[in-house]
Amino acid sequence: MDWRWDFTFDVVIPRLWEAAGVTVYATVASFLLALVGGLILMLLKTSKNRMVSFAVTEFIELIRATPLLVQIFFLFFLLPEVGITLPPLTSGIIAIALYNSTLCAEVYRAGLQAVPRGQWEAAMALNLSTYRTFRRIIIPQSLPPIVPALGNYLIAIFKETPLLSFVAVGEIMHASKLIGSEYYRFTEAVTIAGVFFLVMSLVSAQLVRLVETYLQRSIQR
Amino acid sequence: MKGPKIRFEKVLKAYGELKVLEDLDFHVDENEVVAIIGPSGSGKTTVLRVLMTLEGIQGGTIFVGDEPLNVMRKGDRLVPANRAHVRRIRSKIGMVFQSFNLFPHMTALENCIEAPVQTKGLSKSEATAESLELLAMVGLTDKRDHYPSQLSGGQQQRVAIARALAMRPEILLFDEPTSALDPEMVGEVLNVIRDLARSGHYTILLVTHQMGFAREVSDRVCFFDGGVMVEEGAPDDIFGNPQNDRLRHFLSKILEAT
Amino acid sequence: MAGRIIAVVALTAFLCGISFATFSELRIFLPAMLRGAVVTLQVSILSAVLFIVMSFLAGIAKDSGTRLVRWLAIGYIEVFRGTSLLVQLFWLYFVLPEFGIVLSPMMAGVLGVGLNFGAYGAEIVRGAMLAVPRGQQEASVALNLSDRACLIRIVIPQAVVVMIPGMTNLTIELIKATALVSAVTLVDITYASVQQNQLHYRTLEIFTITVMLYYCFAQFIRFGGSALEDRFSRHLRRGH
Ligand SMILES: Nc1ncnc2c1ncn2[C@@H]1O[C@H](COP(=O)(O)OP(=O)(O)OP(=O)(O)O)[C@@H](O)[C@H]1O
Ligand SMILES: [Mg+2]
Repeated sequence: MDWRWDFTFDVVIPRLWEAAGVTVYATVASFLLALVGGLILMLLKTSKNRMVSFAVTEFIELIRATPLLVQIFFLFFLLPEVGITLPPLTSGIIAIALYNSTLCAEVYRAGLQAVPRGQWEAAMALNLSTYRTFRRIIIPQSLPPIVPALGNYLIAIFKETPLLSFVAVGEIMHASKLIGSEYYRFTEAVTIAGVFFLVMSLVSAQLVRLVETYLQRSIQR
Repeated sequence: MKGPKIRFEKVLKAYGELKVLEDLDFHVDENEVVAIIGPSGSGKTTVLRVLMTLEGIQGGTIFVGDEPLNVMRKGDRLVPANRAHVRRIRSKIGMVFQSFNLFPHMTALENCIEAPVQTKGLSKSEATAESLELLAMVGLTDKRDHYPSQLSGGQQQRVAIARALAMRPEILLFDEPTSALDPEMVGEVLNVIRDLARSGHYTILLVTHQMGFAREVSDRVCFFDGGVMVEEGAPDDIFGNPQNDRLRHFLSKILEAT
Repeated sequence: MAGRIIAVVALTAFLCGISFATFSELRIFLPAMLRGAVVTLQVSILSAVLFIVMSFLAGIAKDSGTRLVRWLAIGYIEVFRGTSLLVQLFWLYFVLPEFGIVLSPMMAGVLGVGLNFGAYGAEIVRGAMLAVPRGQQEASVALNLSDRACLIRIVIPQAVVVMIPGMTNLTIELIKATALVSAVTLVDITYASVQQNQLHYRTLEIFTITVMLYYCFAQFIRFGGSALEDRFSRHLRRGH
């Protein structure tokens, strides 16, 4: 093996640094969309209309049984055919967000279920408005299970963004592939990309753990 | 004249700061039946657990026969016991737990033959023949192919006794063997233990809250409190003529409760 | 029950799709896609075997008494969970040759997917082993069973029941993750559909078939998982 530090510093790191911006952008955008999408899916799933809730349940099931990569390709090819031209980055973000919103919906549902029934009844007995019930009673109690789970999905999304390289989005993995084929050297670029992911996810896992203990302590007080 | 079968010499057992057994001197003769009584948290279970090597000790020595359990001789020095040494001595001891601890994925018979086949090198058919005799002895021949989940508590505990006996131990340890049982099942288990005690083949250490039974089957009763043995003696003396205040207090509370 | 019905419906839909495709002009892309499906199956089965082996090895090693073994397991788990599967596939296929180790695409794909999921499975195996009551180990000591016999005969058989649901889910995730193996030049069902789509521009049909295929695989694994769970847990339920 030969590792070339000059190549690493002159070519690999500057280009990966640029691409890291795309990775972070894709991660944050998909995550925010997924947060909202998950909320919508959960509301539809628990809808009183049986048809709607059945259809949404099956839709979620189907999305979850299919590889995210297939969904990325599907949107990438399908949208232009139906006359919607989006840059690959955007359609990729939509695919990742859609996939993860099905997971977020489940997190929300589990979080709300973790609040004991008695709490709803107590709020009703105190004649609190629906808004106040949620704002003051339900949401504070369901946050401790929800927030760490969402944090873990944020990390998962971050590790899913390399899939965008399949549709030529210039994120980190794509950049290291390009470097590899331009210079016929993969070692530095792929290894640095790996280290980048490792460090980022170890650090963020630690952050999620911190938030988790903080929330747990705040509810016990 | 042989020495005692089990001997504790200045045994210290501590969990961190908490000393559970302190400088305990204690012995059991061969084929003697000894009952251990005492209030909750007095260290009764701990005596059995350190003897069974489920817990290490922090000081003193435990002898089984004339061999120390936690150290062994190497040349003329004493070194910490290695695994083979511990396992050789452990093979002389069988234990019956309060909560049975049967293997739930094995039938009654499989529970009994597992250890003899794995550790004593018995063939499956030899082990099966022996275990069937033991199951017959505890009155469970017809339950041989039942899983623990299909047996009552009393039946499970009898299987557990047969399982311990299948290892052909010389010493039997019982830790409150009937405490987890419904009242109507206590008798069937006590009957089995009584037979074992009367057979005279086993050195038995029995931790129990059943004072009547302790008085009936044991040769000697030891009263523990706060990690020390406060009083010991013949059953009739302990129950009929207790000397120590703590023992009197303990017995009067038990009488009140029953 | 609902899962089983869904599986039947999905299978029927899939067969209808196939016959529709066979008897129309769409049959031009079917052979290539079926070849892709075979590759997906091959990678899935081989990497699932590796995944299960690694889950057990690392899950058991993480609680081992030897510090070196424990640290090896922790290192393996953290590295493979911390980096992306795609990065790992690239590394195995493009960087390992630099160290003189040249893997075939199939080997790189199977190794990458299997090792990656083994790191996740290790935690499930470990959790399941910790869920076996302590009394079981104590009974093993009292019966003088060796540590090995206790692990193999007593703890693992009981832990298996606990780990089946988690391992079933991971197996489904693993099948989905094999979609990435085109990164190491394997033509699996996903990549075959991309290729065929670029030739024939029948996005909806092609991808519907692909989605259905994955869906059927997933239902099949789910069904197998619950059958296994039934079988293993029959005697472990308390009471009767
Ligand atoms: N693993 C442990 N860690 C810390 N302390 C322990 C542990 N096991 C036992 N103890 C403590 O040791 C003391 C003696 O416990 P032991 O189980 O021997 O009591 P016991 O006489 O058997 O009581 P009981 O009649 O309730 O069974 C208790 O104070 C208990 O809290
Ligand atoms: Mg006790």
